[in-house]
Amino acid sequence: MSDLDKAIAQLRACRPIPEAQVRELCHKARELLIEEGNVVTVTAPVTICGDIHGQFHDLMELFRVGGDVPDTNYLFMGDFVDRGFYSLESFLLLLCLKVRYPDRMTLIRGNHESRQITTVYGFYDECLRKYGSANVWRYCCDVFDYLALGAIVLGASNTLSPASDSATTAQEYIDEDIEIEVCNSDGAIMSRFPRQRNPAGAASALGQQRQRSPNGNAGSSPGSSPSAGASAAPSNNGSVGKTGPPGSGASGSSGGTVGNPAGAVLCVHGGLSPLIDTVDKIRLLDRKQEVPHEGAMCDLLWSDPDEIDGWGLSPRGAGFLFGADIVKHFNHRNDLSLIARAHQLVMEGFKEMFDASIVTVWSAPNYCYRCGNVAALLELSEDGSGLGAFARSNGDVNRSDGGSGAAEKNSVLMEGPARRYRVFQAAPQDSRGMPAKKPVADYFL
Amino acid sequence: MRPPAPPEPDVAQATKLHTQGSFTITSRKLPISKAGPISAMESRLHIPIPEMIFGDNLVSVVHRPSGWSVSFSAEPALDLVNKTGENMLQVAHAKDWTSSRENSSAVGIREVVRPFDWTYSTSYRGTEVRGRDGKGLEASGKQIPLELLKRRDPILFFDEVMLYESELDDNGISLVSVKLRVMEQRMLLLCRQFMRVDGVLVRVRDTRVYVDFVKDEVIREYTAKEDKFDNVKKNLMMTGLGPDAVTVAMRDSNQIANLLPVVEHQLESIDLVA
Repeated sequence: MSDLDKAIAQLRACRPIPEAQVRELCHKARELLIEEGNVVTVTAPVTICGDIHGQFHDLMELFRVGGDVPDTNYLFMGDFVDRGFYSLESFLLLLCLKVRYPDRMTLIRGNHESRQITTVYGFYDECLRKYGSANVWRYCCDVFDYLALGAIVLGASNTLSPASDSATTAQEYIDEDIEIEVCNSDGAIMSRFPRQRNPAGAASALGQQRQRSPNGNAGSSPGSSPSAGASAAPSNNGSVGKTGPPGSGASGSSGGTVGNPAGAVLCVHGGLSPLIDTVDKIRLLDRKQEVPHEGAMCDLLWSDPDEIDGWGLSPRGAGFLFGADIVKHFNHRNDLSLIARAHQLVMEGFKEMFDASIVTVWSAPNYCYRCGNVAALLELSEDGSGLGAFARSNGDVNRSDGGSGAAEKNSVLMEGPARRYRVFQAAPQDSRGMPAKKPVADYFL
Repeated sequence: MRPPAPPEPDVAQATKLHTQGSFTITSRKLPISKAGPISAMESRLHIPIPEMIFGDNLVSVVHRPSGWSVSFSAEPALDLVNKTGENMLQVAHAKDWTSSRENSSAVGIREVVRPFDWTYSTSYRGTEVRGRDGKGLEASGKQIPLELLKRRDPILFFDEVMLYESELDDNGISLVSVKLRVMEQRMLLLCRQFMRVDGVLVRVRDTRVYVDFVKDEVIREYTAKEDKFDNVKKNLMMTGLGPDAVTVAMRDSNQIANLLPVVEHQLESIDLVA
């Protein structure tokens, strides 16, 4: 067993590893992360997770529900630390897994991966308590500076592949054209939503309006007539616009070739920035620094979607809010079908907004050990057509793939990938090795 | 159709009742509200709802013979949050933020979305329902007998109930919770708002409800305290705490409350003897 595997085993048992080992781990992680671009390219299948916040036992539950590493390909959208009691063990375990299985583990930066925030919200204190000095906190913060700012998921399928323990066959998913499936932590299907092919079908799935805007009308492009879409196997599913690599802005008109099975998915912790109109602009940022108080990098980690038109300023005097039009325009311009983000607590574990053009994923159940909320994972399955196979790239290597999927610019909003949400609850109390939190009677005045 | 909700919490199971003298004390603790109830509350209150909203939680004290009661829950507390955006606080780095944005393409974005008091500061003192005789709490000089409350009389019923909490998007904290302890002859309830905007301001707003079960008398005391963030830090330092201990103390209203100057104080009481 290598030292790294030993460290993983120890951290899985929720026991911190010695300071010298943390130093070495952080050093290795930095060498690895420095090679990654600001926007990492990830190929489906992938399981996307939101905030963890040091809830170590719930992270273990997440791995139980979502599958273990390296069997499952994970993408964590930041906020590993602060608030929970085990930020250190949670972050170091994720980092160990990243170093051990770099291609099966993607970590992007959340607003809590910052020196300033961790001094206020717990991680700093935790390191001090567990090691008696701030060294480990410093090593971790140095790693934070190298975390990617976002990720692009390519090759996600328009149809779901059966959950491992589901009786449903792949053909059934295709026949029924399932766009969204929600499972509980045991893999049992809780609900399913077929794709809304009919543009006039404003039927409300997930409690939100799903009618398409005129130029986002899925039925208006020849390849996506309801009949074609409904019966199409993924390999010849023509319902998606033909696109170049996302973020490339490629506008070649080679046509003829079939594009991505589903539009790409941008993953980022917070949201969009008014300073960023293309994914390529994210690639140009100098990310290797503390999260600044303002500017594009700050916005990506801090901003929130809201039911407004255009951009708005938060009442706090700092921070942006962005509306549906901003998301749709950004997705269209960048050939994205979906933005996945974290950052905000949602009771149901996930929340799709703006005609499913953006989703919030939250992976900390019973947040702060008192909210009683459930958490969720988002699974995107692999497109079986083989067209979704892109080499994983670090840096800007993948900005263009030579036009094999060159964009034929049209005004069709990319159709979203099929999505499976696995909803899970907090780990049972007895797995935590600590007593259930009961209010202690005290003689307050 | 909505996404599947976690199993419906059992309201009855989450409710605890305690009877002492002529009073019935109730506390109810449930998980945070779900998307549906939140958006319904949002449309009633016209402000964004804090992310941790315990909309079903409740503490109430009912005087059975007269029907008089005072209760504490999240929605009426939030209804008292300023919805106009007057005297709005700004986060510590707001000045840097706006000035450095001026040369950027973001300059066009000036509109503050739905201005309101985003610190969720509330002057909530509980929701009073007058007795059948029309009697309610009135201003009075009666003080809560602290000496009696310092006695270690056995606590027969104790609970702590959250109403709401916001992390102010990692700019501090604003939380409102209710604690209560019932002894044989008296009870004390404390509804506290603790609000801290990092680098800017700290507020503690306490509503204490004291019930004397022997005299059937209730005293309500409201105390609002606040000070600048840096002053509080300095005062903590003066107590001999090291920098790390100060950081921890800044998160604990119990350690801070006594250091803050009082900005508002009010006493009311009601005699419920028939």
